[in-house]
Amino acid sequence: MLTPSIVILAVISMVPFFYMIYASLMNYTVNPDQPTFYQLHNWVSILRDSTYWHSWERTAIFVIIGLAVELLVGTGIALAIYHIPKGRNLIVTLWMLPLFVAPIVTGLLGRFLLNTTYGMYAWFLQLVGIKTDILGTTSTAMPAIILMDVWEWTPLITIIVLAGLQSMPEEPLEAADVDGANYWAKLRYVILPLVSRTIVVALLIRSMDILRYVDTILITTEGGPADSTKTIGYYLVQVAFQFQDFGRAAAIGFTMLIVSIFLGRTFIRIFARGEQ
Amino acid sequence: MMGRSRAGKKRSSVGTTLIYIIVVIALIWALLPIIWMVLSSLKTQAGMFSMPPKFFFKPTFDTYRQMFSSTGNFGHYLWNSVVASVLSTIISLVLGTLGGFALARGNFKRESDLSFWVISTRMAPIPAVMLPLYLMFSKLGLIGTMTGLVFAYTTFNLPFALWIMMTFFKDIPPALEEAGMVDGCSKFEAFWRVTLPMAAPGLVATGILCLMFAWNDYSFASVFTGQSTQTVPVAASLLVSQEGVQWGQAMATGTIIILPMVIAGIFVRKYLVRGLSMGAVK
Repeated sequence: MLTPSIVILAVISMVPFFYMIYASLMNYTVNPDQPTFYQLHNWVSILRDSTYWHSWERTAIFVIIGLAVELLVGTGIALAIYHIPKGRNLIVTLWMLPLFVAPIVTGLLGRFLLNTTYGMYAWFLQLVGIKTDILGTTSTAMPAIILMDVWEWTPLITIIVLAGLQSMPEEPLEAADVDGANYWAKLRYVILPLVSRTIVVALLIRSMDILRYVDTILITTEGGPADSTKTIGYYLVQVAFQFQDFGRAAAIGFTMLIVSIFLGRTFIRIFARGEQ
Repeated sequence: MMGRSRAGKKRSSVGTTLIYIIVVIALIWALLPIIWMVLSSLKTQAGMFSMPPKFFFKPTFDTYRQMFSSTGNFGHYLWNSVVASVLSTIISLVLGTLGGFALARGNFKRESDLSFWVISTRMAPIPAVMLPLYLMFSKLGLIGTMTGLVFAYTTFNLPFALWIMMTFFKDIPPALEEAGMVDGCSKFEAFWRVTLPMAAPGLVATGILCLMFAWNDYSFASVFTGQSTQTVPVAASLLVSQEGVQWGQAMATGTIIILPMVIAGIFVRKYLVRGLSMGAVK
């Protein structure tokens, strides 16, 4: 029964993978339909390309700040919901609605809300004296893109951590109560250690997903202004589909895959530990 | 719930008030953009842009009526979205269920390698997957066709379905199938009559998530579709990239994109954590 699925899976994963390695060794710029062998030129060119490194730097900022905010807020909200006496199910349902929103719609909404002449959020910001064009200014565009990601995906951290909280064993908490521990001590020494594996799982899933999508950037800033939101995923799309330099894009794509493969390996290791 | 009684006792009223304040702020932050989008889609062109924001007004369905009128292609885009996501979901569910069952029951020497491979296929960055597929599709003449788009969606839905169905099958004791086989069922009959019905809720949840992943996609569709195979997310993006942004239609399109997924998502809420954490959290 496994054979047909594995064969098809191999076709849809292995073939593109090897095709990308092949493409990274070819020159598509003269005639995209008849690429010629290019040795390691694409590889050398991306390593020397300052925009390439700049894109990784923007990616690192996007990923590290985005994940940190999502983790802190997501876990905080999970704890709040966990301790709430009434209406927990309704609150979780409402809180996770952004998860179902297509990333492209998140971007559209961000653009609409932040528009300087008729955006609702821009209007609120103007009330407190902030009149800049948020998505059009280098210093604020990246924070805005990060906040869109935070809006959409923080609920995922919450529901994963909440699942961990709800499956905690009772005894350690009762023991802490008997010892007269205050809430912060309980959180620090009992609750967080008990849900640490779940938090790591949530973090890994998010870190793979945050590298996965570029939709929001495609519809809002298109990498700008002045390359301030040009993440590596967006740069790949640009090199491939705007500059039509498929060989160089393939080399960029390969380096992206290496990062996600590393994350995937870590995930499987933790997954396997949980299964036992 | 056991958590509730434990949490309920010894909470000071100050703490509870603080928690409620945090939750209310969080909900406003999460829901305001969605509410604003739906409201904006029900406003007149002039009403949409009036600031300070108005939350109470006489709603009009003019924008929607316009979109579905004979001059617009919106119905066609909607049909494309439905076809592409439903077809890729069906293919992924059939193959994923069979493969997931075999994976759950079989004894593979290199199981961790296999599972790693499945996960990395599902979690790979979309731009990195899109590029080789684009090059291959142009060679095969699949750019701009529905077949290409369905195939592209299957590249992430099949590994997802396979993996999640495997975790569901692992929860069902093999002893039940063995009992069926003692009664004279073949291996496939035992799977079909005993195991599959027990995994039905998981199957439905997996299907809905596959639908959602394909339905919400923009990247693949923007590169692989042509004029006649455009999906709704692509149509939405064109509304704002053309000169003179049509925000009324963009907000209405956004509402149409998220509405079915919100309803379906609430429906499979119980399995959502499992699905979205790739089965690592139950």
